[in-house]
Amino acid sequence: MREELQKIKTEFLSQLQRLKNLAELEELEIRFFGRKAGTLTTLIKGLKDFSAGERQLLGQLVNDVKNALEQAFFEKRERLQQAQWAEALLREAVDVTQPALPLQSGGHLHPNTIIQKNLEDFFTSLGFMIFDGPELESDYYNFSSLNIPEEHPARDSQDTFYLKGHPGWLMRTHTSAGDVRAKQKYGAPLRVISTGKCFRNEATDVRHEHTFYQFQGVVVDEGISFAHLKGLLEAVVRHLYGPEAKLRLRPKYYPFVEPGVNGEVTCFLCQGKGCRVCKQTGWLEIFGAGLIHPHLLREGNIDTSKYQGFAFGLGLTRLVMLKYGIDDIRLLESGDFRFLEQF
Amino acid sequence: MLISFNWLKQHVSLPDSTTPEEVADKLKMSTVEVESVRHLGKELDQMVVGKVVSADKHPNADKLQICRVNIGVETVQIVCGGSNVAEGMLVAVALPGAQVRWHGQGEPIVLEQTAIRGQDSFGMICASDEIGLGEQFPKKEEKEILDLTALGLRPGTALAAALHQTDSILEIDNKSLSNRPDLLGHYGLAREVAVLFNREVLPYAEKTIVPGKELGLKVTVADPALCHRYMAVAVAGVTVAESPAWLRECLSAVGIRPINNLVDITNYVMLDIGQPTHAFDARRLQAAKKITLAAVLAAEAQTFTTLDGKERSLTADTLLITNGVAPLALAGIMGGTDSGIAPDTTTVVFESATFDAVAIRRTSTRLSLRTDSATRFEKSQDPLNAERALNKLVELTLQLCPGSKVASAVADVKHFRLAKQPIEVPIAFFVEKIGQELPLKTITTILERLGFTVKEKKKVLLIGVPSWRATRDVRIPEDIVEEVLRIYGYENIAPCLPRLLLAPPSPNALRNLERRVAEVLSLELGFTEVYNYSFVSEAQIKRLGGDPAEYLQLDNPISKEKPFLRRNLLPNLIENITTNLHRADSLKLFEIGKVFHADESGPRTREQSDELLPRQDTWLTLMYVRKKDASPFWEARRAAETICRRLGLAVSFYPGARTRSTRGNIPPVPPGYRLGSLCLVGYMSFIRNSPLAMVSKNEWGFSR
Repeated sequence: MREELQKIKTEFLSQLQRLKNLAELEELEIRFFGRKAGTLTTLIKGLKDFSAGERQLLGQLVNDVKNALEQAFFEKRERLQQAQWAEALLREAVDVTQPALPLQSGGHLHPNTIIQKNLEDFFTSLGFMIFDGPELESDYYNFSSLNIPEEHPARDSQDTFYLKGHPGWLMRTHTSAGDVRAKQKYGAPLRVISTGKCFRNEATDVRHEHTFYQFQGVVVDEGISFAHLKGLLEAVVRHLYGPEAKLRLRPKYYPFVEPGVNGEVTCFLCQGKGCRVCKQTGWLEIFGAGLIHPHLLREGNIDTSKYQGFAFGLGLTRLVMLKYGIDDIRLLESGDFRFLEQF
Repeated sequence: MLISFNWLKQHVSLPDSTTPEEVADKLKMSTVEVESVRHLGKELDQMVVGKVVSADKHPNADKLQICRVNIGVETVQIVCGGSNVAEGMLVAVALPGAQVRWHGQGEPIVLEQTAIRGQDSFGMICASDEIGLGEQFPKKEEKEILDLTALGLRPGTALAAALHQTDSILEIDNKSLSNRPDLLGHYGLAREVAVLFNREVLPYAEKTIVPGKELGLKVTVADPALCHRYMAVAVAGVTVAESPAWLRECLSAVGIRPINNLVDITNYVMLDIGQPTHAFDARRLQAAKKITLAAVLAAEAQTFTTLDGKERSLTADTLLITNGVAPLALAGIMGGTDSGIAPDTTTVVFESATFDAVAIRRTSTRLSLRTDSATRFEKSQDPLNAERALNKLVELTLQLCPGSKVASAVADVKHFRLAKQPIEVPIAFFVEKIGQELPLKTITTILERLGFTVKEKKKVLLIGVPSWRATRDVRIPEDIVEEVLRIYGYENIAPCLPRLLLAPPSPNALRNLERRVAEVLSLELGFTEVYNYSFVSEAQIKRLGGDPAEYLQLDNPISKEKPFLRRNLLPNLIENITTNLHRADSLKLFEIGKVFHADESGPRTREQSDELLPRQDTWLTLMYVRKKDASPFWEARRAAETICRRLGLAVSFYPGARTRSTRGNIPPVPPGYRLGSLCLVGYMSFIRNSPLAMVSKNEWGFSR
């Protein structure tokens, strides 16, 4: 019995050392420890044939051998498992930097929509409502209500599309056309922006479009002053071009404001040093603005003794072109996917 | 408008160190838009007077000559194509490095030493228009070079010095002058510059006319509403001749071609003080020593041939100047063909008038006749300026035509009243409007320097407006605030944000919907947003089975093909597909935009009016196209379903009528499907056999 035990031990350990994978290990386990015919199991089962004194001695011996073999077995299994995992890691390695699948083809918002949303969000955060006026307007709202009577030279600068068979109907030339409508509808105090499509009858080229987009804002309240207009325009400039951007105001005549100014910002391309885009001036013209002419307040049924206001407008299309470096205005309404897919 | 810096300085005493750029900058910040400053001398850099020593035929070119030209320091060879180049002639030579305009056109290019048909050419013998002197030295024929022989100058003299080109020219944007009739001449601008530089504008030198008795002069004005003032005077014994050099140089510098002394004088006065005038030959106004000028209304459909040779059809609101019988001029706009100054004119009758701005503008717009005179009158001229102009005309005529004398009394028909009523502005109004307190002294000083009078009475300023600002420009207290503010400087106002009531803005449901739909379509479903014009063509309408008669039409379309206002978004989206499909196998696109339906009512034309504009709803249309996809319907339906799901709407589909729609606002539906939900919101259909599908939705505003 003792020899046999010693033989099992030697044989087990030598085979254990030679085997190379978990399958062989499992085979070895069955051969020695198998519940039915394992060599060691069989030996242990034979213990019952010995006398009680011998059984105690041999039992102790058998247990020691069994424990030793099991420990060797578990250690081997641990090593083999580690090796297998290491191998698997190596085999299944992934280069995470390698581009594998093409991008899902997504759609694109029009650049004008993107900038418009940006501005609308900024102004609604300041409590402005969004007003939509009609694109086909009356002469009254587009001109007369804005202190531009018929035969006024200011009409020169806004070549207008008129409607056949409908005298007094036109395609709005600016978003200011909605000004008096908004005042009539909501009264004072008022904080409103309107955005949209405008039309002017001029030949198209790289810089001119007969269809373009404007953005316009109006504040009517008590005690509104020029300093407030300047304050808000500065906030807009910082929103659009960062904290370093500067605002410059210069006089400009618009019949619907008094005083009227045009607002320029430091050219963000050259930081004011002068470049092709700003025509070497260092400034980009962005706004038209001013204190609302009392004529407009009266047309909007607003008490001019109590309320004042300011208005400002900016060329949304121009802003889009500056932002994205678009040098041909006609691309915006070309419907050309090569252009649209860049946004 | 071009302003000569030297001319300007005749009216305001600026320090010598003040540059044209400084003047331009101050004007830009406080008054008008200055588009450019040109230095005439600088443009003649690297150009000298040359003397042609010899001119021989080019061996390889019939029309070219090889000239040996003395340019002072040396004699060089220059190839020249000038038709008039000849030995001994003094010419303008542009040396390598000079900038010239090739054949007087395009952007300037820098000359280089070169060879022309195998012969070296050291520079170029210039024509007047190639070096910006076309106005001063008009060419008589195409290939003529500038002949300077008459100047008798030493070869090598710098051309700028030789031609007294020391001036600088400020180009002022006319649009920025539309409310400032007073700035349409050098004197008015000088008045402004004087304020900006804190200098004095020099009093305008004018002599009152000493009337003559030789000729009777009768002036009548039929409609005082159209002619606020009409002045005239006759000067006899004039000789029509070329103007003296100073006058020609003045006009050329600001782009006006000198013609003859009398015409040049009228142009000079207009450019000097902004008042247009007219010079008639007295022979056309005269009957038995009596001269008649009458401002009368034209007869309806009367014709009149203007100076440019065009016959104009007039309306009954057109003001004509006649000699009592025959029309001579379109008042304030343009003269006739044969009443002006002729080479043999001996007696001239000057007209200096103030015509009604609105009437002038109406006539000149209707006739598409935009003249320097019309653009000035339509901005409302100061009637006092008419008198000053007439004084100046006569003074210059007497000076330029020795032996001439005033031959009539000064006729003056006045129908104007100067605004005597001061504008009342409470002192507190300034701080209210500006948002910052300005010292009263600052306010009054600025206004007084601008020519206003200021009196204070119980905390209210009574402000008298000078005649040159009173015609239209300055009328209400806000105008006064602007005057103070622009001179004080916008940059000196401290910005601050208004303190307003904290109140959430009322939501714009339509805009929110537009945004959500656009985001679902582009970010989730892979559609690309397009912006199209609102205009469509007859062919586009008919192709979709529409009737152009249902469409609103532009009176003056930019493209004759596309005068109609879209009733749906489809036609231009189909064009988008056509232009892009050759570059892609599959396209998904959408547009959100307004459509125009004249047969349905929209907003009012004005608050109290019953006239309604067409209905202008915002529509969404999307299109999907994929080559070899026999059932694009499923993709389009998925888009419709997804949008509805994102909006929390139930959606179901059912077959639509198989008939072609006759109404242009419903897209064609053969063989179609309708998309419905709580209410009918849109349509989906195949378009012909092309694999297109689309959804058009109306009235999305049911988000409850």
